[in-house]
Amino acid sequence: MRRHAGAIVLFGLAAVAPLATRDAYFLDMIVLILMWGAISSAWNVAGGYAGQVSLGHAAFFGLGAYSAAVLTVHWGLSPWIGLVLGMALSIVAGLIIGYLSNRLRGPYFVLATIAFAQVLLITASRWREMTMGSEGIPVPFKQGFWALGLASKVSWLYLTLGFALALYLVQVYLEVSRMGYQLAGVREDEDAAQALGIAGRRLKVIAIAMSAALTSAGGTFWAQYVGFVDPFYVFSIDLSILFALNTIIGGVGTALGPFLGSILITWLEHYLRATLSDIAPGLIGVHLIIYGCLLIVMVRFVPQGLIGALGALFTWRARAAQRERHART
Amino acid sequence: MLALESVTKRFGGLTAVGGVSLDVDEGDLVGIIGPNGAGKTTLFNVIAGYYRPESGRVVFEGRDLTGHPPHEICRLGLTRTFQIVKPFGNLSVRDNVMIGALTRVRSVAAARTDADRVVERCGLGDYAGVVAKSLPIGLRKRLELARALATRPRLLLLDEVMAGLNPAELAAMVELIRRVHAGGVTLVVIEHIMAAIMRLTRRIVVLHHGEKIAEGVPARIARDPKVVDAYLGEEFTLE
Repeated sequence: MRRHAGAIVLFGLAAVAPLATRDAYFLDMIVLILMWGAISSAWNVAGGYAGQVSLGHAAFFGLGAYSAAVLTVHWGLSPWIGLVLGMALSIVAGLIIGYLSNRLRGPYFVLATIAFAQVLLITASRWREMTMGSEGIPVPFKQGFWALGLASKVSWLYLTLGFALALYLVQVYLEVSRMGYQLAGVREDEDAAQALGIAGRRLKVIAIAMSAALTSAGGTFWAQYVGFVDPFYVFSIDLSILFALNTIIGGVGTALGPFLGSILITWLEHYLRATLSDIAPGLIGVHLIIYGCLLIVMVRFVPQGLIGALGALFTWRARAAQRERHART
Repeated sequence: MLALESVTKRFGGLTAVGGVSLDVDEGDLVGIIGPNGAGKTTLFNVIAGYYRPESGRVVFEGRDLTGHPPHEICRLGLTRTFQIVKPFGNLSVRDNVMIGALTRVRSVAAARTDADRVVERCGLGDYAGVVAKSLPIGLRKRLELARALATRPRLLLLDEVMAGLNPAELAAMVELIRRVHAGGVTLVVIEHIMAAIMRLTRRIVVLHHGEKIAEGVPARIARDPKVVDAYLGEEFTLE
């Protein structure tokens, strides 16, 4: 239980927040923190646990966003059906990306994922009959759970909290299960993992497909929450970078890391946007520069992310003892 | 148990292994020696499924392994170690070994028990919780062996697990290999340290330029003029 203390506090606070306040801005912030944290967790399944760093996860996010929006607009179907369709499409896309991960290593794989998202962006912005092209799709609002038309922010908060919890548990599974250990082996050294009887290639592909499907589910929720799907946003590299950024800043390959990263980055973005545009309208893009600096500082000085920094704070005594023991032997 | 039928592996114009045949019976402890570049490790890579040979077959317990991927070969009971050790650097010694054990048992708890037993048996008990990348080379070699043992092989290919060890570590490793063998694991061992391999094995195979130039009991190999010429430089005597 102790190792989940951070998560219990975090999700617990989110759960009781509506009791304390009904302030729409504040609740919106919590929904977005949970949403981006959950989607970054989905990225973490591939980028962290399987070690397959992608900068094209917006592809899956966009597939999820569009699947629901298109089915609703053209055929009046429930976004829940769109959610399932988006996940199915993303699994197929994930299998393609996964196949590439077995052909391309390191930076070449990253480039392939970027290109993949770009191809979908161009498709979505040109296929006017289906996607309304570059104008994007306003998601029609229909009241009710089945139509994902939740008027109150509180309902959205609990829906995203459920989603976030599910993603947290998926990651915990990857830390304690047979598949998780085997995946760790593949991430550390694929040749050695194969020599020990692990079907490394297949395992990586499965992890990427899982990651893709979960990211897509996040895309559907986001589009229904925000109410608008813009191809230049949902398929953008900015978004792909955001997923990676949240995770790297929070702690790659840890279940809580993406959520910690999301708290910092989501809050920072809103805060900086508001303050900077108050100072001068021309400063609006400056928050991106601040992100960049933050990323450099984190990677240089705290490569394990916020969770590593917090963990070090809590366990420095235990570690010092271990070091001492190790030095003596 | 293992039969190589004139296995040939080429890299471009270079024949790394040329028509090598070899039979290993259950319970054997076979040594493979030869100068650098003789094709020893390439031969292991062919047997373990990392390279597909241009011609010839690898047969293990009556099953043709040629073209099977490494993980299937391991699951059939044939595991290899790597000359340049490949620990899972950021994981603990216990977790390293556990990943090997999980190939045989599905339950994580059972694999942990298995791993603890193997870690203890390989003399790594004091380091079970230590991160693998912080181990010195002698212990990394032992971890390489421990991890392979956790997959419960019937045939184990050891690629220079004694290289780089100090005399005390070397003696401990020889002892450990003997115990593994006594425990019923058939072994094929690549080694450069002649004193160790002469004492350890019952049969030695000598490779040179990818070809088998001699095979026999250690005492005869040590005096074989072709082997002396190609590898030993002078007759090797065990004092």
